Amino acid sequence: MLLLQLIINGIQVGALYGLTAVGFSLIFGATKIFHFAHGASFAISAYIFYYLYAVLLVWWPISILASCFVVVAFGVALDRYVYGPIQSTDGSFFTIFVGSFGVAVVVQNLIGTVFGRGFISVPSALSKSVELAPGLYVAPAAGIAVVTAVACFVGLQLFLGRTNIGIALRALSESSALVRTFGLNPKAISTCAFALGSLLVVPAAVLTSMTSGLNAAIGGRVMLISVAATIVGGVGSLRGAACAGLLLGIAENLALWRFDPQWSEAVMFLILFAFIVLRPSGFFGRVATS
Amino acid sequence: MGRLRKVAVLAFSLLVAFAGQASAQDLRIGAIFPLSGANADYGDLYMGATELAVSHLNDAKVLGGKLSIAYEDSQALPQQGVIAMNKLVNVEKVAYVLSAFTGVSKAISTTAARSHTVAVNGGGVGPDLAELGEYFWNVIPLANFEVRAMAPYLVQKRGLKRFVLVYVDDPLGQSIKRELESSLAPLGGALAEALSVPSNAQQFSGIAARVRDAKPDVVYIASFGAQQSQIVKQLRDNGVTQQLASYSGFAIPAIASLPEAKGALFTTQRIDWNSGDPVTKRFTREYQTRTNRAPTAYAANYYNAVLLFGALASALQKAGLPVTGENLLAKRREIGTFDLVGGRVTFEKDGTIRSAMQINEVDGEPAVVEIVATP
Repeated sequence: MLLLQLIINGIQVGALYGLTAVGFSLIFGATKIFHFAHGASFAISAYIFYYLYAVLLVWWPISILASCFVVVAFGVALDRYVYGPIQSTDGSFFTIFVGSFGVAVVVQNLIGTVFGRGFISVPSALSKSVELAPGLYVAPAAGIAVVTAVACFVGLQLFLGRTNIGIALRALSESSALVRTFGLNPKAISTCAFALGSLLVVPAAVLTSMTSGLNAAIGGRVMLISVAATIVGGVGSLRGAACAGLLLGIAENLALWRFDPQWSEAVMFLILFAFIVLRPSGFFGRVATS
Repeated sequence: MGRLRKVAVLAFSLLVAFAGQASAQDLRIGAIFPLSGANADYGDLYMGATELAVSHLNDAKVLGGKLSIAYEDSQALPQQGVIAMNKLVNVEKVAYVLSAFTGVSKAISTTAARSHTVAVNGGGVGPDLAELGEYFWNVIPLANFEVRAMAPYLVQKRGLKRFVLVYVDDPLGQSIKRELESSLAPLGGALAEALSVPSNAQQFSGIAARVRDAKPDVVYIASFGAQQSQIVKQLRDNGVTQQLASYSGFAIPAIASLPEAKGALFTTQRIDWNSGDPVTKRFTREYQTRTNRAPTAYAANYYNAVLLFGALASALQKAGLPVTGENLLAKRREIGTFDLVGGRVTFEKDGTIRSAMQINEVDGEPAVVEIVATP
């Protein structure tokens, strides 16, 4: 029963990892910007939801919508006012990374100043597990996490495959010159990537605020998982990032079956290391040719 | 014109000399607290107490000049703590530093010993802290005393014999594990499982499954800061209904206000907040007024650490001796016993104190359920 419990826990955690990883992968794939502040987007989203829903007692759909609005505005503002100016002065990949890292640090400290640096959580019945079978506990949040992750991923695939802006996003990930040739504005498409990528962290952030709770430094771990999942899944592959997020979540939990909890995180990095050595292109990434 | 210039130079020199004399009487001590990061709650708590003690000492004019504290942020990380300690010793030239957290305290202790700077810990409880040399003092009973108070209570009085330990993998967690391993068997209890977690872990649903699988009577949590709250919440959310127990790390407002922590037991040193002794009475009253929080053992410890410095520095000044680390140590050995919050405190030879312990239950604000005499 312990094994089954760990698999179920892993699927829940992995679904949330997948959602955040897909957002990061979408932005990185389309814009080639190492958006380190993706973790900060997650933290902002979670704290806005917490403040509205748990402190001001705003109705949950409004709280989620407000969280979406703020996090999209944050992503777009970063693209326009931080990354854009750096890129316009021929800033290197590393310069943009440092800029993004700086934003993440500032956001973490701002959150700490405004909301405090201690632990907070959103009280919700959704995080309380019920015993489905002897020794098998599942919280409603687990089901919601899986359904939401699947719905978001399917919706994203439809958006990217069937709408003009979605196709333009995919084109941008191939070549910005090609996009210009077709009379499209790469900067506007890049902004869409940031808006969409940031939006995808909201479900995971909201569910995390209920199940695991929050602290001001939570963005760092989210970022770590997003990068790991993007590499394991194959850079630029959304399907890969989603599957890798799920794999990492399950592996992290399954490690507890036989190993000390200390090894749980190490297992995640072992998988990452194995992919870097044995299959650098990841699950679904394309092999680079010279 | 030349004479005027000479007078001006002379006047300026006198002014500088006078100013130098005045500031030489002011005293400055250091404090290395977590002021940012996941454990900043503790730093905030400690600062409320140290600032209160400084204002009490300055109001009472116990020292020749004004006392102030140079705060440095350790983020509860040993590496940051060492950087802070070097700055306090080499730049601020302080003779007395307040320290917190076991890992940080151990990391700064070598600098304290080398530079003959007194380091006083009021928050870390790893038993190793008793072995860090003569310049490292503890104004808090260490975790071995906490475990030795809690284990008999749970096994003998509550009949909870099967323990599972969830501990953070650092010197504190490891020492509590060692202490539980050695103290449970003679009492008729057993440590069924010890699950170590990295200090940055945030997901504990899998740990909860392992805890349930071990079928414990009691789950002892040895972590700190935001992480211990996450452990408590996720254990409860994931079907762990057994008694929770911990050490003095639970004596923070975040745990007191966490609904899932209700009923958890934790140890602290014995302090009667309703005591009639004037030091405790004044601290309890003014700490509440100033910080809008109920007093905790941690707050009392750091208040005591500053008060201790005031008593030692004042005695040195009266004797016409400079306030240096060596003189502070000699004076502490000479005086031996001090009136602090919680009552009269006597230092052991190894720079630690012993105290009666109390077992508290989280119920909004902690309530004392058992008092354990000084070992």
